[in-house]
Amino acid sequence: MGMEQVWLLPAIPAGIFVVIALFSRILPRGGDWLAILGLITVTVLGVLVLIDFQGSFTGGHFDAHGNNVFAFDWIRVADDFFAIEFSTFVDAIAVTMIVVVSIVALMVMVYSVGYMHGEARYGWYFALLSFFTAAMLTLVVSGNMILLYLAWEGVGLASYLLIGFYWERRTAAEAAKKAFITTRIGDVGLLIGIILLWRATGSFDIQTIIEAARAGAIGETYLTVSMILLFAGAAGKSAQFPLHVWLPDAMEGPTPVSALIHAATMVVAGVYLVARFSPVYAEVLIARDVVLYIGLLTALMAATMGLVESDIKRVLAYSTVSQLGFMFVALGVGSVTAAMFHLFTHAFFKSLLFLGSGSVIHATEQQTVEQLGGLRRKLPLTATTFTIGSLALAGVPIFAGFFSKDEILLETLKGAPLAAYVALAFTAALTALYTTRLVVLTFFGEPRNRHAHEHAHEAPTSMAGPLVLLAALATVAGFVALDGVGKALGFAGGFGELVFLEEGHHFKLDPAVAFGATAASLVAIALGWAYWSGAAERAARARRWAPELHALLVNRYYLDNLYQAAIDRVVLGLARVVAWFDKRIINETGVDGGAQTIGYFGLRLKFLQTGRIPNYALAMAVGLAAIALLAFGTQ
Amino acid sequence: MTESDGYVLLALFLVPLGSALLLMLTPSRERTAIIGLTALASLAMFVLSVYAFVRYSFVGEQFQGVLTFGWMQNVGLLGEHGLQLKVGVDGIAVSMVLLTGIVILAGTWVSWKVTDRTKDFFILLYVLVAGVYGTFVMLDLFFWFFLYELAVLPMYLLIAVWGSTRKEYGAMKLMMMLVAGSILIFTAIFAMFVELGTGSFDMTEYFAASFDPTFQKIFFPMVAVGCGTLGGLFPFHPWSPDGHAAAPTAVSMLHAGVLMKLGAFGVIRLGFQMMPEGGAFWAPALILLGITAALYGAISALRQTDLKLLTGFSSVSHMGYVFLGLGTLNVIGWNGAVLQMFAHGVMTALFFLLIGGMYDQSHDREIPNFSGMARQMPVWAIFFVIAGLASLGLPGLSGFVAELHIFIGAFRAYPVVGGLAVLTAAITATYLLRMFSSVFFGEFSTRWSALKEITWPERAGATVLAGSIVVLGLWPSPWIDRIAPTIIHTIPGVTL
Repeated sequence: MGMEQVWLLPAIPAGIFVVIALFSRILPRGGDWLAILGLITVTVLGVLVLIDFQGSFTGGHFDAHGNNVFAFDWIRVADDFFAIEFSTFVDAIAVTMIVVVSIVALMVMVYSVGYMHGEARYGWYFALLSFFTAAMLTLVVSGNMILLYLAWEGVGLASYLLIGFYWERRTAAEAAKKAFITTRIGDVGLLIGIILLWRATGSFDIQTIIEAARAGAIGETYLTVSMILLFAGAAGKSAQFPLHVWLPDAMEGPTPVSALIHAATMVVAGVYLVARFSPVYAEVLIARDVVLYIGLLTALMAATMGLVESDIKRVLAYSTVSQLGFMFVALGVGSVTAAMFHLFTHAFFKSLLFLGSGSVIHATEQQTVEQLGGLRRKLPLTATTFTIGSLALAGVPIFAGFFSKDEILLETLKGAPLAAYVALAFTAALTALYTTRLVVLTFFGEPRNRHAHEHAHEAPTSMAGPLVLLAALATVAGFVALDGVGKALGFAGGFGELVFLEEGHHFKLDPAVAFGATAASLVAIALGWAYWSGAAERAARARRWAPELHALLVNRYYLDNLYQAAIDRVVLGLARVVAWFDKRIINETGVDGGAQTIGYFGLRLKFLQTGRIPNYALAMAVGLAAIALLAFGTQ
Repeated sequence: MTESDGYVLLALFLVPLGSALLLMLTPSRERTAIIGLTALASLAMFVLSVYAFVRYSFVGEQFQGVLTFGWMQNVGLLGEHGLQLKVGVDGIAVSMVLLTGIVILAGTWVSWKVTDRTKDFFILLYVLVAGVYGTFVMLDLFFWFFLYELAVLPMYLLIAVWGSTRKEYGAMKLMMMLVAGSILIFTAIFAMFVELGTGSFDMTEYFAASFDPTFQKIFFPMVAVGCGTLGGLFPFHPWSPDGHAAAPTAVSMLHAGVLMKLGAFGVIRLGFQMMPEGGAFWAPALILLGITAALYGAISALRQTDLKLLTGFSSVSHMGYVFLGLGTLNVIGWNGAVLQMFAHGVMTALFFLLIGGMYDQSHDREIPNFSGMARQMPVWAIFFVIAGLASLGLPGLSGFVAELHIFIGAFRAYPVVGGLAVLTAAITATYLLRMFSSVFFGEFSTRWSALKEITWPERAGATVLAGSIVVLGLWPSPWIDRIAPTIIHTIPGVTL
């Protein structure tokens, strides 16, 4: 098993999807074991691919490693003129993604055995998870833009079906619809971008496109527009402003799904796409600045919204949006290393947080912080692992998030205006603040809902296992960037250089940045602790402090309302006009009107047909006389 | 394909005609015999269609399986070739033959539910299918037009007798508009016949004729509008939503699935192939009407509350893509247009099959009246979602393969139009997902608890159609290997 057989990674879960989807009713346990067995195989094979990649890796330049493995002709018209060759491509980015996707997917599947126990459509759930994994793995190993788009929409479909998993709930159905349509708007940009790049290079092969762009074969304005359009697709998938509105609503899906799809894997597809094209973004700095500032705005905005949200899952969703913004900021200053590193650590600690919140919901059947509190005594394991995840998210030293966030801050300081750095550092402090609030309100203080509190019980083993494993990863995943650790793990040039692309990039903490960020986080945590750990009613005081600001944040900057109004007024208004035009003008005036006009003439003219001989004789006589006159007159 | 395969092409329209004759001889009370006969006939048509498709491979000359039977030569106006029964297919026609085979197989199965005058229903249906097959395989202009009309005329009776929802109005509107279109086609055919001057109706002579450019510019739009009316070309589309809404299930399936493609096929054969310069002159107009139809149909569909009207406007939108693709005059756009004819044919047949399967029980098609139907009819809902996803261009299903080609073709012709075409796909997603959300999801309303899952013949038909959607979506090369060389080597005026 090596890089040539990497197509097996998506093929295995794809096959399992078909089997479970068709036969889940006759398979024992709905086939969940089959899905997990498949994922274990994929994880093992993924590690083999990593080892093979490591063996052939010679270090050095960006496009020197990675290999394009020909698979097959999907479409071929007029030889090479219009050809779509589905191929796989394995490089450091792809390997990183394979590791992240297979580990998190496996954890989530094991967790789901406990969490989804006894649900209706249990088999269908595992079929969908397998389908998602297949599509996601296809996405990350695809060497061709169309194959990537196919997988891109495939994960979108999986997301749609899983958000709407509890489709009996109207809100779930609406959330699924909103997610699909919002990302679809971004995908309009992505598809146009793909087509524009084909138009300029005659190829759908990703590496061919990148080489052509770097060689200057594409006009600068044209390339800028294309890359911004690609980013539109990325922004839709990765929930960046102004297309971020779907992700908080997507929390209607089962919680393990939120952990897998809406925290660790699918939503980072946009980051992956921009990272994949980073050499091209380096050529068009305007497009890269768009990535930077959209990312920055999103990070800040989402963090502020996370501060007032009371639904535990939605807080995490805003946090995800915000952290994705961090990754785009890193890409926007040209540091793929920092972005991929943060993607890597974030996948572990954020899926941990989601699974932890799932454990809370499972135990209490409540998910707003107003109904929680004091759970640390009832759910010690969940509370501990959740706190570890939170510390990682808040960027407290030694936890994974500290290393990667520090890397992003450092790169921003180097590559962007100071104001951007300040805004990002402020957002990082906000992150610590809302995280503290969430932990305090959920696990500390006094229980606010006695009934739910009393019935709470710790999660079963199948759920606890993944929590512990992910907590371990959330603690240590940052260390891999350290040179010594990388070498100890068997990576000659250090893990950082291998996975995070840049030659000679050695992770080094900048004392000033690290100290500043840590201090800010700790201050924010302390403030948050002091404020929210007191009496329950004090938590509500923020509302009275600045009611307008609070309303603005709670209403999500009124963007959802704005979009809804735009759809209702503009789109449906236009539809009303068009439907009116079709009914009144084309149908009633044109078609029916035409028929009625003819009918009218028939009605009138029929009186000429009187049936009386004298009338006809008179008409004939007049006619003959007229002809005779004409005939003689012209002579 | 060898010459002997020509007999397969001949059989394609003789089987339904013969079956119609046999049905006439069968007493109406012998229901079992009728069902047995139609089962056999539909299977035969399907197998013959698949056989023709598989056997075809492009080898240089345009038409394969050519068979000629002289009928009237050297009489009156008729010259050496005169009137002949001449069959033969190219890659475009053979794809349409396959489409017809698939749709009639499913269409026959679901029509066994028809209890009112079953025999007469099938007689008319098979006459219609004979006309459809005949038009696709015929290479003689006289017979082409004869069979084209044969495909259209039974529609009136099928809708007016077996239809629903303002069926007389729908049938009359459809018939009047299509006959008006036929008059234009008829005029153009005679103008070309006279202009050709050899007294022949052999279509290959017309393809080679290269008529005077001014002549082409005058008569191309006649063909485009005449055939375009049947193809649902904006603004000659109003018969389509009303007609589909009124027609019984199998007729909607065949009509939207196959007959509308006949219109587009006519624009290719009689329009672009016989009058390429006229086609080149009017191509921008076709693009304009095509993209207008795509947007207009999609936006109208946003407001529809009747499932069949929604699908009808969706058809207008998707057929707009076909005309847009033809208007690009490049190989990719054309490839997309023909693929879209196939893809839309299958997906819309599936739509109508499913709507019919539900309407027959509920007698209601109003979207707001339904909720949470996935609980009561899960199989139905799953098939519906597959058709819908194909319709909104989800990669991996048939619609995307076609639309990708059309988008790229449009970008090569006019990038702005290409951009609008991609945008249309997002609007399509919007109206379909709104419908999904409203009809399938949410709390189930007990009002419909008497509804049953679709019947086994319906499931079988839906499986065939959905299977075709997936196969074309994942493995499009069998189609492209037949269609693309035909376009590249034999369609004049279409460039890379």
